[in-house]
Amino acid sequence: MPPKAAKGEYIETDTGNKISRRSQIHGTQHIILGGKTVIQAEAVIRGDLYRLPSTAASTDPSNPPAQSNAPSVAITVGRYSYISKSAILRPPSRLHRGVHSFYPLKIGDHVFVGESAVIEAASLGNHVHVGAGATLGSMAIIKDFAVVLDGAVVPPGMVVPSWCVVGGQPARIVGEVGEGYGVEGAEGGMARERYRVVGRP
Amino acid sequence: MSRPFPYTYISCPCADTPVPDPARKRRSRESPQKPPPERDTEANEGQDDAKQSADKDDEEDEDEEQTFDPRSPRSNFSLYPPEQLLYCEDCHQIKCPRCITEEIVSWYCPNCLFETPSSMVRSDGGRCGRNCFNCPVCTAPLAVSTIENVTGNASGQGPWVLSCGYCLWTTLDIGIKFDKPTNIRSQLQKMTDSTTGPAFDARSRQGSRAFGDLKSPLSNFASIDEQANPSERDTEQSTSKEDQTPTPHLGAEARFAALKNFYRTQISETSNSPSDPLSSEFGFSSPGALNRLMSLYASSSRLSGLYGGTKKTKSKPPVMREALTASEGLRIASGDADSALVERIASPDCGWDGVASLSQRTEQSPDVRFVDELLPLPVLLRTKRAKRCKSCKHILVKPETKPQSTRFRIRLIALSYIPLPTLRPLAQSSATSISGLAPAPDLNALSPLRPYHVLLTLKNHMFDPVRITLATPSVTPGIVATKVTVLCPQFEIGANSDVWDEALQNATAPLSDRITGMRGGEKVPEAGKVWEKGRNWTTVVLEVVPGTLPGSQAEDGQAGNTDIAATFQKDEDVLEIPVFVHMEWDAEAQLEQQNVGKASKPDDLVARELAYWMVLGVGRIQAAL
Repeated sequence: MPPKAAKGEYIETDTGNKISRRSQIHGTQHIILGGKTVIQAEAVIRGDLYRLPSTAASTDPSNPPAQSNAPSVAITVGRYSYISKSAILRPPSRLHRGVHSFYPLKIGDHVFVGESAVIEAASLGNHVHVGAGATLGSMAIIKDFAVVLDGAVVPPGMVVPSWCVVGGQPARIVGEVGEGYGVEGAEGGMARERYRVVGRP
Repeated sequence: MSRPFPYTYISCPCADTPVPDPARKRRSRESPQKPPPERDTEANEGQDDAKQSADKDDEEDEDEEQTFDPRSPRSNFSLYPPEQLLYCEDCHQIKCPRCITEEIVSWYCPNCLFETPSSMVRSDGGRCGRNCFNCPVCTAPLAVSTIENVTGNASGQGPWVLSCGYCLWTTLDIGIKFDKPTNIRSQLQKMTDSTTGPAFDARSRQGSRAFGDLKSPLSNFASIDEQANPSERDTEQSTSKEDQTPTPHLGAEARFAALKNFYRTQISETSNSPSDPLSSEFGFSSPGALNRLMSLYASSSRLSGLYGGTKKTKSKPPVMREALTASEGLRIASGDADSALVERIASPDCGWDGVASLSQRTEQSPDVRFVDELLPLPVLLRTKRAKRCKSCKHILVKPETKPQSTRFRIRLIALSYIPLPTLRPLAQSSATSISGLAPAPDLNALSPLRPYHVLLTLKNHMFDPVRITLATPSVTPGIVATKVTVLCPQFEIGANSDVWDEALQNATAPLSDRITGMRGGEKVPEAGKVWEKGRNWTTVVLEVVPGTLPGSQAEDGQAGNTDIAATFQKDEDVLEIPVFVHMEWDAEAQLEQQNVGKASKPDDLVARELAYWMVLGVGRIQAAL
């Protein structure tokens, strides 16, 4: 029960992140966790897919150290977000003017990512719920309080507005959540409770 | 039962009042002002007060005698997850989506999240007027990209296409390229409408009107039939020949608009008065229109209207003619069109994949039969809606108009008034000796005839402490009879006070509560005692003994096993407990009339009460032990 048990399943950081020892996190210097984030076993977080120095900078070779000083952020995760088992977080990528480059993936607060979901979205707002087995295509934008149902495939570039429920393959807007969604303790507001029980025996 | 176990639903009381009955409504209005005698009876009855009260006073309403059955078909309409319910402060009642009315605050495109002014919504056809399109094949959003981008040339110029990131369809498949990456909708409209006929805009409307003026609608039909029609047929045939050539779209929308304009001009020209209801947009079913039609048919025996068109006498209403030219929207089906369609469907280069599916065709114009005729669909707009109470018209929810904003100007959700129920199974400490590691029972496979303890937490969001009385039928309704006991049916929930109060309280008094709560694993559920208590929440224990499923055990003693098994329906094994929640609290009288009634003392508190049914979905009962 005490957080600093010798060899628990979870590593707890200073900011309260609970990270499973069995998760696979690549490129940690490109990942920002907001604190109180839970990352469960076998989750894969690809911080190594960060945006390379842009072509404009490479033509100007005078300041490469400046870029190395400030590593570009690949993945940002907000507070009380929860990455379930075997979920994959992957920064989105895009072919722009013939150059394939990665873009940052931003995840807001109180976000739940279900088991074995694949997230390649550009951004997930606050209080977003991603169901188990869902796939979020590259550069998709999920706004606050949106719900992605289990097994949905959100096509690349799709925008899911706030309060909307999407489901299906490809995902379509199938409904809306109630106004009380996201109230602490109710549906969409369970993040603190979820965080609290993680790592407890 | 769409949610994973355990879940809680709350029944909106509106299901009991299907017909608006003024007498009932008055009573429900009064009920929040608690009548004193009712309180005593309520307090004395513990568990199954509903049944006892039914025995006691027969003159009570019928619905008060019955307990709530979550399986009855009616319950489908009243059970809602707590977060979907609203609360009307004037009716003092829970409001579900059925007892509210909605009004649109703003329209926005779900793809680009731009607001569309309501004046533009109709002219845009309720769809996004910008660059947002859905794939006609799979409905995924389309992206604007250059052809060069796909091939890898880094120019960033050149023709643009819409491409689907899901099924890889592009507008190249239907031979459409765009010159610039902006304003695609109007570009597309020009492409699809420019082939023939009038585009539907103001200019064409005037054009067709002018055309209609040239030929008086009541000019003799015979001459038109002789002169105009053959020539029209010829042109129609030629255009229908063109239909099979690469640009098959005569523009169904344009044709519809032309027809609409034609009939509108006809109506306005043949109407008796300028304020004829038919000429207005919605007046087709008005009494005036009916009157006009009746007189039309009554006088049609004499073909008097043929020559009286310009006079427009009241006694002889003029006769409307039908569309006669292509510019008016007439299209004559060519005889071999169907056989050509069949031929094309049967040809090997079309095949199954070349034919548009039914779901694809529903979104397209009715002529579209093949995949290569599908046009990108502008994204349908969505709305933000304000919600009003149906009975008192007070606004319950009013979101901010901006599409990006998630805030509300007014948001009276039920969760701020009724306690939020959460359900949690208690780890079976009796089953395993190691108290700390007792596994939580598998809610999808509850074994029958084995007692389970379920923790029901009610969290109060009001700023007043609330007294709660819970009641359940001792045996759940349905075929599977599960015994349910609320170990502590009466308790109090603290006020949702300031966070600072919580911090201070935690430092002092209820620390002991907290500590006992921490050692929850070792505690034994006791009758009449609250399991755990916090600042604004209280947890009580429900003891549940799941019943046996019929047919699972022959020696179960259930008579007529086979009959019951025959009537056994899907989800009958789901354990759902109806719980009657009665809450009472002392609210500050903030309404004016109440202040007027009593001399406004500073401490005038109004006792309020609210009662409703909720359903706890505990789990699914296993078939065998």
